[in-house]
Amino acid sequence: MDIFLQQLINGLTIGSLYALVALGYTMVYGVMKLINFAHGDLVAFSAYVGLTIFSQFFGASANSLFNVIIIFLLTALVVAFVGVLLERLAYRPLRTAPRLSAVVSALGASLVIQNAIMLIWGPNMKIFPSDLLPNTTWQLGGVVLTFTQILILILSAILMAALYVFINKTKIGTAIRATAIDQDAAKLMGINVNRIIMIIFIVGSSLGAIGGLFIGIYYRGLTFDMGWLYGLNAFIAAIIGGIGNIPGAMLGGLLLGLFNAMISGYISTEWAETFTFILLIIILILRPTGILGEKTAEKV
Amino acid sequence: MNKTTIIATLFIAVMGIFPFLVDSAWLSIGITFLVFSVVAFSQDIILGRAGIFNMGHAIFFGIGAYTTAILNVHFGLEIIQTIPFAIIIPVIISILLAAPIIHLRGDYLLVATIGFNIIFEQVLSNDPFGLTGGPNGIFGIDVVRIFGYELFSETAIYYIAFSLLLVTLLVIRNLDNSKYGRALYYINKDEIAAKSMGINISYYKLFAFALGAAIAGVAGSVFAIQYSAVSPESFNFMQSVMFFAIVLVGGSASLPGVIIGTFVMFVLPELFTEFKESRYLIFGAAMVLTMILRPNGVWPATFGNIPTFLKKKAATSKGEEQ
Repeated sequence: MDIFLQQLINGLTIGSLYALVALGYTMVYGVMKLINFAHGDLVAFSAYVGLTIFSQFFGASANSLFNVIIIFLLTALVVAFVGVLLERLAYRPLRTAPRLSAVVSALGASLVIQNAIMLIWGPNMKIFPSDLLPNTTWQLGGVVLTFTQILILILSAILMAALYVFINKTKIGTAIRATAIDQDAAKLMGINVNRIIMIIFIVGSSLGAIGGLFIGIYYRGLTFDMGWLYGLNAFIAAIIGGIGNIPGAMLGGLLLGLFNAMISGYISTEWAETFTFILLIIILILRPTGILGEKTAEKV
Repeated sequence: MNKTTIIATLFIAVMGIFPFLVDSAWLSIGITFLVFSVVAFSQDIILGRAGIFNMGHAIFFGIGAYTTAILNVHFGLEIIQTIPFAIIIPVIISILLAAPIIHLRGDYLLVATIGFNIIFEQVLSNDPFGLTGGPNGIFGIDVVRIFGYELFSETAIYYIAFSLLLVTLLVIRNLDNSKYGRALYYINKDEIAAKSMGINISYYKLFAFALGAAIAGVAGSVFAIQYSAVSPESFNFMQSVMFFAIVLVGGSASLPGVIIGTFVMFVLPELFTEFKESRYLIFGAAMVLTMILRPNGVWPATFGNIPTFLKKKAATSKGEEQ
């Protein structure tokens, strides 16, 4: 029972991180119908940016809550800027091109970011400092709960709730939903589609940046090619929930995190990825539009 | 003789005498080029001709290579005897994998095939039944023997790869002129229209997968012969991304396009070893730039489209009539 509860906590923590990253995929896919393969690498990039900001500006000084907030905000700012740049340079020129061209462009952009990380920070693993957040742990029965885990759970819940309100209750959110349904009709209603796509990239990249920083803090080891791993898992989370669907991405992230944790806890860690992808393929076969996705007829 | 035939003949002639023009380092680059261009052509049958978003093509390449390696090293078969298996096994596996997912829409299919490739990598590295040798792979693959002759020289392997390329080109030419080729072409152009014309979409798509897997399987076998070893990282998911990109950067369903794509992705990096560190950065940027400048690839296919000079003629004659 203790193992089960422990894996439940671990699973929810990883799941929240997947969910944060998955939101970036799902929003871009919802509006542009494009798998943003570079998003995972942006997430890896944000972990490195966070690490650099920390070691350059805060290394010796005491790690107050204020400093941590500044690190998160600065990282989100830098990564959001790169995300907007990515859209401007690699995706906007291809909006009317064949769909596969945009996919190749996304793969190219992913290679660029991944190798830029390698050239800037080197090919070897970087270790995230352990003292960025307090190392407090709590024992609840046989289950260990760390401060980092609690922060990840609470903060991602707050961010996701905020995003949900933003998308469903604000004017910009309505414009985003309208653009996702039909870009041309949205344009006719006076919505500036370019601006909406920019906002999506800002929001998606910022959430990915927070996810990436937490991945760095939680797992501590950073490699330049780690973006694909987290990116693919987050993308699977988005598909499980129903791609293009924001609550779906959150639900998918949590479910995938729990699934991974249970497989690692009870079956095998060597075959964990295999189980993840078997789950993905079964879901694609049974319900390609995901758990919360609607069944849509193909447009002729 | 038109321009395309001349270029094709010249290309084949140069590739035919290539081993006599260069030293051994270049010769091995030549073999790599031939093997990878065969794989790229087989990917082009699936992605370029049938329009199936397959991002797991390294699986079939890898199954071919591992079939030859396992049958030779563990079961003592001659290389030449393993080749039929290196064709049949990828075909069977491609059908088993593709059949349940073939109806999926583009992006979903792409993700499912990525999934298969990652499962494949993990299977290879986890060494099931002690067959695949785990992360290190399998070493000590025998040389090719035909009627007692040992074909161990690089030149011999070069010509094995070269004949494979010629056979592949022949297969593709026959495919293009056949009922199957036309069916794939219409499915790619407009799936719903093809369906309403009575074309059995799943059947033809599976056929494309099986044919592509067969060719990639033999290419894998030659790859295993060249290095006399196989290991999982040659068939990982990034390799599939490369094959996917080659076809689209070069120009899908275009023979010169695929050749150019292979040259750019696999041969240029061998030549510019001094840029080893930053070469993938340059590649990525080149992929983005190529797609922006030429969304249909460097050398797109013109098959089935009206050539521009005819279009101009039609436009001017219309103008004269009015």
